[in-house]
This record gives sequence, C-alpha cells and structure tokens, in this order.
Amino acid sequence: MNDRTEGQEDNRKAAPAGDPGAGGGSWSNRRRRARNSLFAAGEPAVWLTGGALAICTAMVVGLLLLVLWQGLVTFWPQAVERVTTPDGETYMGEITRHNAYAPEESVLSSLSEQVAQQARQDLADDGQTIRRLFRTGNFRLTQNHFTWVDDFSVEKRDKPEWALVLERLEWGRFYGFPEQFVQLHPLDGQTPQALSGSLRTGLAAGHSLQLAVSAPGEPGFALHPLADLRAAAPTPDPAAADAAAGGATPEAAEPAPAPTGIDPSEVIAIAEVAEGPEAAWAAFSEHHGTVRERWQRRRSLEKHDTGKINHKQEQARLAMRSAAMDLETATENANGGTSPEIDRARTRLEEAEAEFEEVRTWANEAFADIRAEIDRINEENGRYQLVMKTAGEGTAPAQTTYARLDGIVRAYPANQLGTGGKVGIYLSRWLEFLVDEPREANSEGGVFPAIFGTVTMTLIMSIAVVPFGVLAALYLREYAKGGVVVSTVRIAVNNLAGVPSIVFGVFGLGFFCYVTGASIDQLLFAAHLPNPTFGKGGILWASLTLALLTLPVVIVATEEAVAAVPNSMREGSYACGASKWQTIQRIVLPRALPGIITGMVLAIARGAGEVAPLMLVGAVKLAPELPLDGTFPYLHPERSFMHLGFHIYDVGFQSQNSEAARPMVFTTTLLLIAIIAFLNLATVALRTRLRKRFAAGQF
Amino acid sequence: MRNRSIARVAAASAVALLTALPAVSQVKVDDRLPSYTPVQGVSGTIKSVGSDTLNNLMTLWAEKFKEQYPNVQVEIEGKGSSTAPPALIAGASNFGPMSRVMKSAEEDEFEKKFGYKPVGVRTSIDMLAVYVNKDNPIAKTGLSLPQVDAMFSSTRKGGSAADIANWGQAGLSGDWANKPISLYGRNSASGTYGYFKKHALFKGDYKDSVKEQPGSSSVVQGVASDLGGIGYSGLGYKTADVATVPLAKKDGGKLVPASPDSVAEYPLARFLMVYVNKKPGTDLDPLRREFLKLIFSKEGQEIVVKDGYLPVSYEIAKATLAEVGVDI
Repeated sequence: MNDRTEGQEDNRKAAPAGDPGAGGGSWSNRRRRARNSLFAAGEPAVWLTGGALAICTAMVVGLLLLVLWQGLVTFWPQAVERVTTPDGETYMGEITRHNAYAPEESVLSSLSEQVAQQARQDLADDGQTIRRLFRTGNFRLTQNHFTWVDDFSVEKRDKPEWALVLERLEWGRFYGFPEQFVQLHPLDGQTPQALSGSLRTGLAAGHSLQLAVSAPGEPGFALHPLADLRAAAPTPDPAAADAAAGGATPEAAEPAPAPTGIDPSEVIAIAEVAEGPEAAWAAFSEHHGTVRERWQRRRSLEKHDTGKINHKQEQARLAMRSAAMDLETATENANGGTSPEIDRARTRLEEAEAEFEEVRTWANEAFADIRAEIDRINEENGRYQLVMKTAGEGTAPAQTTYARLDGIVRAYPANQLGTGGKVGIYLSRWLEFLVDEPREANSEGGVFPAIFGTVTMTLIMSIAVVPFGVLAALYLREYAKGGVVVSTVRIAVNNLAGVPSIVFGVFGLGFFCYVTGASIDQLLFAAHLPNPTFGKGGILWASLTLALLTLPVVIVATEEAVAAVPNSMREGSYACGASKWQTIQRIVLPRALPGIITGMVLAIARGAGEVAPLMLVGAVKLAPELPLDGTFPYLHPERSFMHLGFHIYDVGFQSQNSEAARPMVFTTTLLLIAIIAFLNLATVALRTRLRKRFAAGQF
Repeated sequence: MRNRSIARVAAASAVALLTALPAVSQVKVDDRLPSYTPVQGVSGTIKSVGSDTLNNLMTLWAEKFKEQYPNVQVEIEGKGSSTAPPALIAGASNFGPMSRVMKSAEEDEFEKKFGYKPVGVRTSIDMLAVYVNKDNPIAKTGLSLPQVDAMFSSTRKGGSAADIANWGQAGLSGDWANKPISLYGRNSASGTYGYFKKHALFKGDYKDSVKEQPGSSSVVQGVASDLGGIGYSGLGYKTADVATVPLAKKDGGKLVPASPDSVAEYPLARFLMVYVNKKPGTDLDPLRREFLKLIFSKEGQEIVVKDGYLPVSYEIAKATLAEVGVDI
C-alpha cells in the first residue's frame, strides 16, 4: 500500500522534470504556476475544511444553547408587576417579553390626550416606543391570557408585595391578592351558637368567626357576620346564648330585632376567616399541603381502585358478549335445526350472564363505597377556600373570587421570594413536569406519559430491529454467495434508508393497523368490535414501523462489523474443526458486537427522534394510560401512546393558548434531546464494556 | 335542506345566546343545562379522530370524562375534519369531531358500509375569525366578505372586480398602502379550510400564494410574526399578538366584530360537530352516551368557554341529543 503511493508521487515529480520544455511552454508554465500557487501549498484547503467544521459546530452548538437556555429559564418564577394608566386601566402579571415599534398616527389619534402626548414625546426622543407583553392570566374573568401594554401609556408601575400567583388545575394561572382565607367548620348537629362558642376558645390571632349560609353559585355559601344570627327561636339554648353574647364583637352586643337576621337552620357551617393578605397566606400555607394530600388520595382512588373494578366488569361483559356470539354462530351453523353446540353455547351464555350479574352487583357496591369516599374527600377539601381579589382587568374594577384549595397546584407571593424560594418553585415545577400527567389539553402539567411512551417505543423498536437486522446481515456476509441477487438486496437495503419516513408511516398504517391489526381483531377480539383493539394505531405498530425504518442502519452497521473480523480468525476456527455456525457464533459475532451496538445506537437515535410516521400509527395528543401498567396483562401493545416529539408539535402548533405553550416547546425539546442522549450514552457504555471484554482476544 | 335547518337552528341558538348574555362579553353557560352526574358501568376507549379545531376541546372533554370514569381510556387525534369520516367508516374511532358538516360524498361512503347515515351532534359554536397582526389598522376599519374573497381567492366569486394584493387596495393608507398581503390558511384536510372556502370564498378557489399551515394555532402564530399577514382560524385560538377583523357580509354592509355578543349577525359562525356511528333504532353504548351527556352538561359547556368557543343553548342541546336518542 505505502510503496505504491510513494511510487506514484515519484512518477509525478519526475514527469515535468524529465521533459523540460518539450511539451510546449504554456503547459509547463501552467504546471509551474499550479505548483507555486496558493492551492498547491494546501492553505486554502485547510481554511475551507476548517471553516466548514466551524460553521457546523457553531450551528449545532447555537441550536443546543438556544434550546438549553429557553428550556431552562421557562420554569423560573418571575416578578409580578402591576401597571396603571392615566385612563384608569390596571394590568397585573408577569412580563414575558417586550418589543420596540413605532405606532402609527391613526393609533395615536385614538388615544386619550395625555397618553398620546407621552407617546409622541417618546417617539420624538427615540423614534420608537416599547411595549411589553403581560401574562395577566385570570382567563375566566377576562377571556384573555396575555395583554400588550405600551410603556407610554403607563402612569404607575409597581411590584405589589402581596401579588400572589396561583397555578391552578383548571383555567390556567391566576394573579391577584389574597384577601381572606376561609375554613368551614361543619355544624355536625350542633347549633351555630354552640359551635362558634367552642371554636372561639382556640381561635388563632387575626382569625374571626362568621356564619356560612348556603347560597347558589360558585363557592356554595355566603358569609355573614355572627351578629346577623337570629336569636334562636322559642327556647334559646342558654349556653349558646351566653356564647353568642360573649362574642366580643361590638355588633353582637346590640340586640337584633327579631324578624331580621339569619335563621339558624340556614346556617351550614361556621367559617373561620383569616382577614388580610398576611393572615390568609399563613393559613393557606398551613392547610394547602394536607388538602393536596387528600386530593392525591382521591386521584389514586379514581385512577387505581375504580379502574380495577371497572376492568373486572368489562372482562365479564366481554365474556358474555363472546358467549352470545358463539351462540349466534352455532345457531347459524345448525341452519334452523338444533344441535348439541347450540345447547352448550346457551348454557355458557347463561353462565356468563349470571357471572356478569354477580360482578355487576359487586362492582356497584364497591363503586358506591369508593364514590362515597371520594365525595367525603371532596366535601372535606371544599371547606378550605382562598378568597382572591384581582388587581382589576383593564378598565374593569377589581373582582373577588373564591379558589378551592385542592384546585391550586402551587401558589407563591412572587415579589417576596428570595433566591432560595425561587429555586424551590423552579425545582418543584421541573418535578411536576417530569412526573405528572398533562392537564388542560397538554398546555400545562407534566409530560410523564410522553417520556414513558418515547422510551418504551424505542426499546420495543430495538428489540424488534436488532435481531432481524443482525440475522439478515449475517446471511448477506457469511452465507450468501456474491452475485446479482446479493448486490440487488444490498442496494435495496441501502435505498430503504433513503425512503422518506412518512412513507413508512403510510405503510405501517395500511399494513399493520388496517390489515394485520384488523385480522387480529376479527380472530381474537371479536367481542370488542366495532371498537378496534389492534386495528388502529398502537405502540406495537409504531415500534414495528420504526423498526422497519431503522432496519437498513442496523444491517449496514452489522455487515461492516462482520466484514471487519479478520478472515484468519475464521480460518483458524475452521482449522480447529468448528462448523460454520459455530464459527459465526463463537468467533465472528463476539468480535462484531461493538459494531453491531454502534448500529443500535444509530437506530435508537434515528428512531427516537422520528415523529412523522408516528402520527399515523399510534402517537396521539392525549393517552394518559401507559402501555405498561398494573392491570393484567400489564403490557398493552395495542394502546396508543404519547411521544415527546409529537408532543412538541402538538404544543407548538395546536394549543389554544399558544403564547403560554411556546416555552413548553423548548422544555420538551430539551427533555427529548436529553433522553436520546441518555439512551445513546447507555449503549455507548455497553459497547465500551464489550470492547474491553474482547480486546484481549484480538490479535 | 340540511343547510337551511342548520341556519335556522343557528339563528335560534344565537337568539337564545343573545338573550342569555349579559352586557359584558363574559361568556356564560346556559343555566338550564344540568350538571353532570356519573353513572355506573361505563368503560372502554374513547377514540376520537378528526378536526384539529376541535382537538383541544375533545381533549378537555376527555380529561373531564376521565375524572368521572378513571378507567376509561382516551385517545385523541386531530389532523383535520377530513380524517374523521374515513376513521369512522373503518371503525378506527368512535367519535368523529368535524368543524364542518359532512359532505354528501362522505355520508354516502359511510352509508355504503353501514346502510345508514352517521349522526352529527352540534356541540358548540365557533366564530371563524379573520386574523391580522395586532398592529394592522384594518382591525379597526374592518373588511367585507367580497374583499376577503378578493384577497384569498383567485376566482373572486364574491363579486369583487379587482384582486387585492396589498393593504392599500384593502383601504389602508400611509406605510400600509404598499405593504403586500401575506396569506395564511389551513391545509386542505381541515374543515376550517372547507368552511372558509364555501362561505368566505363563495366556493371559489384559493390562491396558490396562501401559506397552508398544519394547525389553527400555527395560522395565528404565522400572522403574529408577519406584519402584513392575514389568516383565518377559530376564535378560540386568538392570542395577544393578533387582532380579529370585523366582517361585513356585503360591501358597505354592517361590520360585525368577532365577539360572543354578535354571534347572530357574524357571517362566519358555525357549529362544531361531533359525528357518531349510530344505527337507527338502537341505543348508544354507555360510553358514547355518557360522553355526549357530559358534552352537553354544564361542565362540558364550561369547557367550551374555556377553550374560547361559544356554548350551545339548552334548546340546541336537547334537540341534538334527541337525534342520538339521549335524554338531556
């Protein structure tokens, strides 16, 4: 090898020198110029290749930094600002971004005098004005999540000490001030007087007692001062009357006229009220944890316990259904006559029906128990309410709303947080993002089902693609005789790698879902029809589609690895009397293993990042049921699943509140990159170990 | 026939809505709608394939449904209304959300397989808004449908004489006069695409220069980042970066803003449908029956409001549920 190159170089040098001037001046001049030129020195080539590398690196690193930065800052809690305008508009929220622009004359002329003047001034000074996008939340009250506010229209700007951010289960974020914290103490058969009397003894400082009277509408009650209570009718309970009279409130001392006031029978509970932001926040912090724990228990009841019961019931129903179908077939086969099959089928149906009835009665009882427990938890949690006052939305005055504690995921006084507090909120948001289920059409909550779906799909894909790819490659390299057929197959495999991924998706949908899946349904899950079981997209079909997609990668990598095993080793093996398969198994495969695993790494990297074909064969917007769970048969290959790549597409392009969803796109992207990197690193680590293991055996 | 009845119901609903609405634009759900009470014996999989406009709505309903029936499995796909009929026909879905009414060809296809027509349930009302960038003054002056047609269509069946290619031709002056109009639309699988073509383009053809987007939200995002942009999408997708354009049915007609108060007069208001496969004379299975009941409960219609659409009145809810044999 080396000798040949050297010889060639010698020839090249010799040629012009050995024939000076003979070939005509122009030719030798050109050669001389070429030899002395910049290109011959090789400098430009270095710059060219080096530059290309630099540009590539800059693009990749730039992209990664963008994703990293945007993904990491998303969950950092911002300060809450309140602005008021001379026109009496108020906005409060987090500033998400700002931009500079020059408003047109038509816009300016529609503004009020004072604001327009300020705007013109700003324009004259800088040639442009700044506006900021406020995340104002409170969608239920305003039908708006975000509002642009012009800097020139701002008269006053501050960061209120008690601005509270509520992240809620529903309706997105809420910005406002805590006004009261209400805890209801149910009467439980006592009179309002007696209860308030006994409550008063242990009352915390800053808390007061009020009457909660049943009322229609959101919180379900209205608060009235204790003094409004009508003195208990004919025979007042002396103890209670004492207690009421002992109520130190000045109003209580005045005897209320008989017909006015509130009938004790209307009172549903005594409310312990913490007035003012500080007391309300303290009370909230005290109770929020336990309320959320109860809510978690409720969710577990809803998810696991009822799920199990309903699953049993569904099994019984399906058994009955298939028994009925057997009977139908038997009747059809008998052509109107009778046959022992019909009788047998009928008995089976009757048995199944009896069993179903039994299961149903049992399920109803169990369900009622759980329902009662859920209702109890709900009722108990409903006793804790935070009363919030908004800062006012635009020109609308401030409004007061009740917020149930169990509907609040997280709350924090944004402007009081120190660095430690901010880090705490930041980490708790990340935790929620990683381990929780999505809420509000995927725009909030976590992405756990998507993480799980992505990883499971990738693993099933690897399990499917690696054995097939390796076997195919072994045949091509070890057994097949070279020729037209083998070359054709090899070309076909290589071309397969160039087929657009969406084509695989279409193939998967047509072949796996609609042909294979539908046939499986007909054979095994006839009782479920018309609801398809396998005859639709699912994680198995998605994994197999991706396995097809990544097959060429594995085949090519394996072929290369097998080819790299020196022939001398094979010959040595044969010489010792080993058969062909023994040689492959003991000598070739172990040495090729690191290369095969390289193929697997490439396949995983390709497969985990692929989205387009998945959209057709099973990745869906919402599928909180994991393909692997505690319900028999534990692995559910027919289930649709969520995928991080599809999640990114969905959140970025489909969500209703796209402004709030945009940061989530980056966070999810960051996560997807991290997961692929993790899967790759894991396989690389495996490869390194294998290499070490076989290094000793190599010549 | 079908269209007329829908128009009638739309008008009735609009009137009902209007009377039920207070003066402020805070949308309220009809008080007469019942709260949802769970029943026993509901299980199975909710598999919904269809409209992208209804994608979030279906997801939110399904989330609510799962709160009541935790064992129910939920799978939702939304790639466009045109994907709903094939999935229903193939049995790959049990709900087919569509942002337009099924075409007769699609109904025939369904009938060929099953021998009866699918039933469409009118779940909520959408106002198809024409969006422009927030800085575009046209949001104050408004457009007529023939003008919109002249912007989006190459055939101009709305009767406009000249093509509108820049904002000056649409009536803007100053810097805007020479700014070219950049068009954003939906892909052809979308029901919104079909509805807009039928009602705003008067069944004409779209220009080739319309940038077709894969989702409603991406139309809005496109317009938000393009100063000269204009696009159409459901009202639910509005963000702070875009403004809706008041529309008039005819040139010089009355401009109607895309706000809940004006649903009766707004020229591009439509029902959002959910199609189900129901054999006449049979009852729906518990899963589908309860899901539909949830949609028309107070909670279900609150979700409609949450997603930015308009709830249906009690009368519509009752009538449309009766079509699938369910009592409200």
